Formats: sequence, structure tokens, C-alpha cells
Amino acid sequence: MLCSCSSSVTTTLPRPKATKDILILGVGNILQGDDGIGIRVVEMLTQECLPSGVCVADAGTPGLELPLWLEGWERVIIIDAVHMGELPGTWRRFGPDEVRLIASDKALSLHELDLANGLALAQNLDMLPKEIIFYGMEPERIEWGQELSPAIEAALPGLLEDLKAELRKRE
Amino acid sequence: MNKRIDVHHVTRVEGHGNIVVEVKDGKLKTCKFEVVETPRFFEAMLRGRPYHEASHITSRICGICATGHATASLRASERALGVELSEQSWLLRKLTFHGEILDSHILHVYMLIAPDFLGVGSVIPLASSHPEVVMRALRMKKMAGDLCKIVTGRHTHPIAMTVGGFTHFPKRAELEELRQRLVDSRKDVDATVELGASLPWPQFERDTEYVSLSKPDEYAFIDGEIVTSDGGRYSAEQYKKVTNEYLVEHSSAKLTKHKRDSYMVGALARFNNNYDKLHPRAKEAATALGMKPKVTNPYLNSGAQVVEIVHCVEDSIDIIDKLLAKGIKPEDPAPVKKVQGEGVGLAEVPRGLLIHHYQIGGDGLMTGANCIIPTNQNVANIELDMKALVPQVMDKPEDAMRLDLEMLVRAYDPCISCSVHVMKIERTA
Repeated sequence: MLCSCSSSVTTTLPRPKATKDILILGVGNILQGDDGIGIRVVEMLTQECLPSGVCVADAGTPGLELPLWLEGWERVIIIDAVHMGELPGTWRRFGPDEVRLIASDKALSLHELDLANGLALAQNLDMLPKEIIFYGMEPERIEWGQELSPAIEAALPGLLEDLKAELRKRE
Repeated sequence: MNKRIDVHHVTRVEGHGNIVVEVKDGKLKTCKFEVVETPRFFEAMLRGRPYHEASHITSRICGICATGHATASLRASERALGVELSEQSWLLRKLTFHGEILDSHILHVYMLIAPDFLGVGSVIPLASSHPEVVMRALRMKKMAGDLCKIVTGRHTHPIAMTVGGFTHFPKRAELEELRQRLVDSRKDVDATVELGASLPWPQFERDTEYVSLSKPDEYAFIDGEIVTSDGGRYSAEQYKKVTNEYLVEHSSAKLTKHKRDSYMVGALARFNNNYDKLHPRAKEAATALGMKPKVTNPYLNSGAQVVEIVHCVEDSIDIIDKLLAKGIKPEDPAPVKKVQGEGVGLAEVPRGLLIHHYQIGGDGLMTGANCIIPTNQNVANIELDMKALVPQVMDKPEDAMRLDLEMLVRAYDPCISCSVHVMKIERTA
């Protein structure tokens, strides 16, 4: 297995070198407690030995710019906090067939640019990757602070292992 | 004929604002633009804080005009403490300011008002019907954000601007790459002008007093005198003679007026007052849009924004050329010359004249602050526009009338902070 141990997470728009390359995109605001789950996961990934052709990126809160992050990639994995009505720390992996985009077609302001709207915009621009996998984890506390809740800290290694298995599967 | 239009809140603006219009027996009974935001208390937050924190605190007043607030804040402190900026600092301040004007104007023109003209509810369906338009907007916005990031360390809430100058300097290679992107963006800029020229701007005229900054040698964005189209001319310290703030019951924003019952600030006011200082390519854009001062159609505030997009791209290229010719030098911030003082900082942020007025005590802590934002200054003018518009459109179906009113409010690009949503129309028989 080829290894590309990267020590940093890119925050600028990455582009694939080959069509089979995979972009792992962490999304969220690390100043809002558990909203930073996606960013924490991509930070943890930089400590791992990753297969070649895997690019790890911190997209922060990309809003309308999400299509620019996705441009050119055919395989993308997105990680974010998501309200699913589950216990905090519960996570789910959604495959390409399970990701449904429902976005408002009205009433958009700068303050409503969530991931769903960003993905819907990408879809309408015909810029959605062929293969998109979404990891969502139920947050406990979304409020000012840089710490993750204990339930989230405890659950992150499980998500990370599944993500790594996902990457190994694709080699 | 009775009609009641209650837009609660207006969509595709930043913040909570309601339109309430009531027509009874064919006569306009009520016409209000309500600002229903809660007070923000930033001025109170500043009291007791060190002056060098003020720009970072006040930048949080707005995520769109963060650089504008930081700039006005720094100018207030610098003028209070006798700080003289270096030529390089001025060039960098102006460059990043252009980045924010571009970012904000592109957002407004493409994502907040274009959907009205192109018959869709928001930018998301616009991406299906006009993908090339949305991609162009995203490209241009990204470039503007990257410009701010290169100069001030990040896209929003500039971290590298400090009292007296900068704490970080762009590299030559970064500026060279940025310059190339700006040059390459001219085709997108030209397409933006074409789009602006093709939009069916509503026909509505109402002359008002146009208030903006003015400088003898440039299209003013930072510093300068406050001028009005009715002939007023004031120094920064005399700003209260222009603003004359007052309160009304239905608005949590303070309203302002000068010689008339209201005045207008923003891109159209700047265009009307400073047209002769625009870059030649921006003047060409104005011609393409059919605009020549004095323009009295408030819907064309967005047209003036298109003109300013051209100006800011061209002036950014000129500024980068000056910086590259002289070479970027790391330099310490210019020193303060007084331990305490009082100063007024002025800036023309995307939505108009912004005023920060500070008092700084001998211990370097802020003892007083007053911030007057553009949207406050426009509220009274929006209401008077609505009062003039309603009699002209009251025979239209309610949907069309409501859209005319919403588009009027949106034309001012109001930044009243946070939210959106449903609108309700009640028809009384």
C-alpha cells in the first residue's frame, strides 16, 4: 500500500491529480463546540498513514463556495455534525443512494448557507461528484467554545476507523 | 380598493426588516419599513477595552462589512492618537477595502437581486436556469475573498490590520498572482456589466439628498469629507451635523436626516457625488448601463454597484502595480503620538457611509464610542421611496405590488442582520 502521510490539512481549493482520487472534506465551525466535528476528524486523519490519492481538506463553513471545493472531484467524502434526533455521538454513514438534497428555493440570505443549500447549489450547477459519501455525527452542544463534548470525543475513534476502512476498500 | 401588504420579514437582505403597507379606499394609509432587530450594544462593549482591540471587536458588527468596520475603527483610533500611516499601509488598506467591496457587491448583484429579475426565488434555482451566471459569481467572489486573505490574513474579520499599519505583509509572488487573477477577471467583469445592462430595472424616480465621502484626488472609500448633493460639505468631526439621529416607534434603528426629510447613502450616492473620480472603464460601464449622474432611481443602486465592481477591479490592479514597483517591505506600525484623544473614522463601506467616533483615555482604554452604520441612514429614505412608489403601483395585482416593494428595499442592500422568511398578504374586501 502506498502511503502519503500528510502533516497538514489544506484550507485552499485542492484539485485531483487522477479521477480515482478522493477528497475528504471536513465541514463545520470549530468555534462552535460540536459543530467542529468534521474539522476534528480531518485533523485526526493527518496523523494517519493514508493511501495515495487521498486529499484531506478543512472547508470550514464554505456556504455558497461549496461547489468550488467539489469542482473536478469524482469521489468526495464529507464529514459534518448533523441533527438526526439520535443520542450525542451517534454517527451514520450515508452512501451515494442515501444522500437526498432538499433545499429551500426561496428566502436565501448569507445567514442560511448551510451544507444542504451548498450541495443543492452544486447539484443545480451539475457539479456534484459522481460518488458522494456523507458521515454525520449527532452533536450534543453547539455553542461558543472550542472543546468537543465528552460523548463526541468518545465516539470519534469509531467514525475514524470506519472512514479508514472505507478508504482501504477503495485501493 | 383596499390592500394590505405585510412582508414579515423581507427576504434576501441581511437582517430582520418588515414592509407594512395598507391601502384603503384607494388611498395610502400606512407605509412603514420596520427594523425589528434587537440593539447590538457594541458601543457599550467597547468602553473599557484597549483601543487596539476596537477594530477586532467592531469587525464583528458585520460578517460582510468586517473590513469596513475594522477600517473605520482603525481610522478613528489613528486620528485620535495622531498616527500617520505610511504610503505602503495606505495602499494595503485600500487594496483590501476593494476586496470587500467586490465581495459584497458581487453577492448582492448576483445572489440577492438577480433572482428577482430572472424570475426565480433564490440563487439555488438560478444555478439550474443560469449556471454560467452563478459560476461567474462564485469565481469573482472567491477572488475577492482571496484578495482580503492575502492582504489581511483571512477573508472575513481581518487579523493583520492594526493601529498604525499591518502585522503581516503579502509576498511579492502572492501579489503577482493576484494581479493576474484580477486581469483575467476582466471578462467576468465585462459579463457582469452586460448582465446589468440587460436587466429590466423598474422605472421609478424620486430625487433625494445623496450623502457620501469625497476626496479631491480619488473615488473616496476611506477618509475624506462628507459631502451631500444638496451642497453640504463637512469634516469628519462635524458628522453629527449630517446625521441628526432620531427615533421612531416602529423601528429599532435610529433614523437620520440632513436638509430634507431623509437622505441616501451607498453606491448610488457615491456614484452621484464622485462620478468624475471613477476609473475610465467604470465610466464606460456606467454608459453601458445608461447611468449618468444624477441618477434618481433607487433601484439603480445595484447598477451603481456594478459600476463600482469595475472601478475596484481596475483600481486594485493599479494599487498592486504601485506596491510591486516599490517592493513590499515589512515595517512596524506607525507610532502613536498622543496618549489620549478623540477621533472620527470614516469609510464608504459597500452599503454607504460608516462612522466610528472614539474617545480614548490616558490609560489607553476606550471611554466612549459611537458607530453610525449606513443602513440606519437609509431607513427613512426607504420609507419615503415606498410612500412615493405605492400610489404608482397600487393598481397592480398584490403579488406584483409586493415584489416591487421588496425589490425596492433590496436595492438598498440593507444589512439589518440575520434572518428571513414568510410573508403575509391580507386583502380586505
